[in-house]
Amino acid sequence: MRETYDVIVVGGGIMGCSVAWQLAKKNKRVLVIERRDVASGAAGATDGVVGYHTKKPGPQMDLAVQSIAMFETLGEQLGQDIEYGLRCGGLQPVEDKMQWDILSEIVEKQRESGVDIRMISADEACALEPQLSRDIYGALYSPTGGKVNPLRLTMGYANAARRLGAQFLTETTVTGFAIENGRVTGVHTDKGDFAADVVVNAGGAWAGKIATLAGLDLPITPRKGQLIVTEPIGPFMTATVQCARYNVVKFKPEAVTDPTAIRLGASLSIEQTEDGGLIIGGTREFAGYDVDNTFEAIEVMLRRALRFFPALRDVSIIRCFSGLRPYTPDGLPLLGPVHALPGFYMAAGHEGDGIALSPITGKLIAEWIVDGKPSYDLSDFDPNRFLKA
Amino acid sequence: MEDIIICRCQEVTEQEIIDAVHEGATTVDGVKRRTRACMGLCQGKTCGRLVERIVARESGRSAAEVTPQHSRMPVRPVKIGTFGGDGDA
Repeated sequence: MRETYDVIVVGGGIMGCSVAWQLAKKNKRVLVIERRDVASGAAGATDGVVGYHTKKPGPQMDLAVQSIAMFETLGEQLGQDIEYGLRCGGLQPVEDKMQWDILSEIVEKQRESGVDIRMISADEACALEPQLSRDIYGALYSPTGGKVNPLRLTMGYANAARRLGAQFLTETTVTGFAIENGRVTGVHTDKGDFAADVVVNAGGAWAGKIATLAGLDLPITPRKGQLIVTEPIGPFMTATVQCARYNVVKFKPEAVTDPTAIRLGASLSIEQTEDGGLIIGGTREFAGYDVDNTFEAIEVMLRRALRFFPALRDVSIIRCFSGLRPYTPDGLPLLGPVHALPGFYMAAGHEGDGIALSPITGKLIAEWIVDGKPSYDLSDFDPNRFLKA
Repeated sequence: MEDIIICRCQEVTEQEIIDAVHEGATTVDGVKRRTRACMGLCQGKTCGRLVERIVARESGRSAAEVTPQHSRMPVRPVKIGTFGGDGDA
């Protein structure tokens, strides 16, 4: 073993960088090992919606409440502008009675976490977002929804961690783990071996593959999200807007009837960034590790964008991109130690909620490693739920 | 010369690109993620090659060794109405 660290974090994405920063704040010697570059996976290929209303009711929502509260002072703590738009609101226009009923039911459950999410009339929705089509049935509204620049946030975590002494090794591939007496003691890479008492798997959509190298079979698989960015335009919208189908696809996929929409997991998510460009998403596709954009998906998303915002007709798109989200079968991330391999922690599997859940994930995982337990109960996210005893 | 603007769409200076390389960027996409260079209206058609050369110079490699940016559709800006047509899927 060449060098020794307290903790090695595998993956330089939003989770790895958040965990590294929190550990460095606790005076741990941290090494982040990243196969490509910081924010080169999903963290750099997403929109920046930070809202409650797209979260699964129950534990995921409760965790989001904790996490979103941290965003208020996050930029200040990181010493970097993360372009956090506080309280821009989150709006989900509803097209018909069926969607209204499904969303109303989800909203009731979401409200049990004490968050202000409500169903509003079409008139109220159009008063909030004047560019929104009048041809809607109503909308879901969450006044506390926010947005952030995910690239700046990831770089912010990384730079803050670095200033506290964390080291980053990019363009380095993990090839295996050193295991002694049933405990993980280090990481093998194509650039040499590194020793550590604790290893954190923050590999995002690749976390399942990384776990395999440690002999663990964990069901984290890639799910592609395609996005489009437009030319910068003047102030067009304030809220982050997702069509109601976004939550229907996410929480009640069996209610979607259109075959193309089912196959692509297609709905609309749209927000205006600080520089004026609109980011339009999103799909949820199972296509392995393929990250190509498809004409079909782009067309479906842009049609939906025009359905809800007819004034966008003459706005130009300048680029398409896509990212791989770490999907798990029950829609919940895997957070915490793996019992079968002492010293091995999971911090992955957030699918499309990674940006919003990154502050709390980093904080609680660091507490677990350093203090022996997290200050907030994470038993619903126990990675061992997928491992046979 | 540090104040020279390399990416005109996003107004990114040469110094900002140099800083990005010293912060860990080894490719054009790496610079892009750190500075927003190549992310504007022209999508790096004007500045991509310049960024490539700065990365090469600052990291002591030849320009041929620097990975250019990942190309994505569309090649030119296209109006949403052209895609969206009429009717929604």
